[in-house]
Amino acid sequence: MIKVTHVTKTYDDGKVRVEALRGINVEIKNGEFTAIVGPSGSGKTTLLNIIGGLDTPTEGNVIIGETNIAHLSENQLIDFRLNHIGFVFQSYNLIPVLTAKENVEFLMLLQNKSEAERDERTTKLLKAVGLEDQINKKPNEMSGGQQQRVAVARALASKPDFILADEPTANLDSASTANLLDIMYRLNQEENMTFVFSTHDQRVIDRAKRVITIEDGKILSDEIR
Amino acid sequence: MSFWDKQPYITFVPFVMLFKLAWRNIFRNKRRSIITVSSIIFAVIFAVFMRSLQYGAYGNMLKNIVSSYLGYIQVHKQGFWTEKTLDNSFSPEDITYLLDHENVSYLSYRIEGFALASKDDNSKPVALLGLDVQQEKNRLGLDKKVVQGEYFTNRKTGILVGIGLRDIMSLRLGDSIIFLSQGYQGSMASGSYPIIGFIDLKTPELNKRTVIMDLAQAQELFAMPNMVTTAVLGLKNDNWEETQQEVIARVDTNQLEVLNWNEMLPELQQLIAVDKAGGLFVLFILYSIITFSLFGTVLMLTEERSFEYGVLIAVGMAKNKVIIVAILETILMAITGIIAGLAFAFPVVLYFNIYPINLSGQMQEVVEKYGFEALIPTSLDPSIALSHAGIIFFIVLVVNMYTIVKIKRLEPIKAMRR
Repeated sequence: MIKVTHVTKTYDDGKVRVEALRGINVEIKNGEFTAIVGPSGSGKTTLLNIIGGLDTPTEGNVIIGETNIAHLSENQLIDFRLNHIGFVFQSYNLIPVLTAKENVEFLMLLQNKSEAERDERTTKLLKAVGLEDQINKKPNEMSGGQQQRVAVARALASKPDFILADEPTANLDSASTANLLDIMYRLNQEENMTFVFSTHDQRVIDRAKRVITIEDGKILSDEIR
Repeated sequence: MSFWDKQPYITFVPFVMLFKLAWRNIFRNKRRSIITVSSIIFAVIFAVFMRSLQYGAYGNMLKNIVSSYLGYIQVHKQGFWTEKTLDNSFSPEDITYLLDHENVSYLSYRIEGFALASKDDNSKPVALLGLDVQQEKNRLGLDKKVVQGEYFTNRKTGILVGIGLRDIMSLRLGDSIIFLSQGYQGSMASGSYPIIGFIDLKTPELNKRTVIMDLAQAQELFAMPNMVTTAVLGLKNDNWEETQQEVIARVDTNQLEVLNWNEMLPELQQLIAVDKAGGLFVLFILYSIITFSLFGTVLMLTEERSFEYGVLIAVGMAKNKVIIVAILETILMAITGIIAGLAFAFPVVLYFNIYPINLSGQMQEVVEKYGFEALIPTSLDPSIALSHAGIIFFIVLVVNMYTIVKIKRLEPIKAMRR
């Protein structure tokens, strides 16, 4: 479970002061398929970054499981992210010099998993995203949709508690978007994996089971379908 | 159970994965990598060759000094080196106990005097050296330097004349030269000696003014029986500094002086010091260029890869491991450059060690003025190559400080913002 309480985030460079989040309170339970939506500058990415431990709140707490990540040091946060959170980025962000298989395996190497476990899980995940025949291709040899599917497999590799996806379909065509959403939806349904998206893609919003709308740093609505 | 109880281990990444990442990154921008490695190769070749040449020249000078005449250490009557008169002489019996020193293998006695040499209408001031001709034959290989006539093989009479003096005075084998000089304690020294051979001492300056005769003959000429001006200490090993100090401690320094080759030829030491400083200045410029070149590479690499570093940190890679990958990339390039540089430099250095550079013109004159061969062989001392490889490696580590600081301060969100 992710519990966000009274979270504010203020950016102040001495000249300009921006309140990106203003007292956000939200709980996301295990197995949810949640979309955080809102116009550009509404604060949805900031909220996603704070939940993902990539940014720290100015005030408030973010409790994931039993850990208040707002109180973790930088190194603790890095380790927490490795073991508890999977990330899918808008522009895939795969490691360009590694193959699809190596990209998926990478986080497990960081976790010091055995070779047998790595091989088994990598094969399983690449099969799950429909790329079992592309394992030795490097990112520049794959389409955007294929790269994003590898990114999903990578995010799942470390057996995270949940996956945060920041505009995962923004760079994809319709067919790739539909394919990616099918995969993520299936993983949510079959493996009870929690997905939290930030998006303004209507196709993603339509598939979400819960839609949290943010505007001007505040939650405008929270719709469970 | 808290998270930290559940996951207490510190993640360990097999080094091979970090190595693989760094190695493959090198090939992402091949042109830049080639330029970087090439600049390191050039620096290694240039630095190693230049330094080998310098140290080879110094080594050759020292070899000239030690093997040709001067030796590492000499003992004289106190004051002889500053006032070279025959009155500043001593009896060999005063120092025979020095043979008991563990590093002294022999004592070679000499008389170093001056005389006016005359033949027919020609006369010329010469350095007249009285040597133990049998002992010096073995030590200096003087017999092998005789180019015409014979060495004192079965005789101790007669003289050997430098080939330069032969040409100046138009001398021939069998001619007799008359010497006129001041002997011991103001006595008159004169005598006529037949030429038994001409000798090439390899340095024109010595060849123009050297006459060699047996020590007993010189003692008789200068009327100084059982007296010598110089004793050269033959050493078993090259540890002359320590030996000199120990010899000084044993002799009566009120009566005798113990000098090493440095003290006898301070000009040489100054020449070497100036030359070394010049070499260091050139190397400083070279290494400055290499430092900026490497820093440019590191700067570009770090800036280009900031986005990736941000992603790696975001997905859970510890900053220290990101730093290792980043540094490993430049270290691998440096190691490649250093090894290739040494591989290219070695045959060049070896070639010029076997076939030394022959100096000509003004340089030749300057070198020969000091009594050395106008040859510069390169030194094969491996410490030269290793030290320069070490310097370049150190430069790589220093310029990578930028990468370390940059990654340490890197915030993944900002880094991933394109």
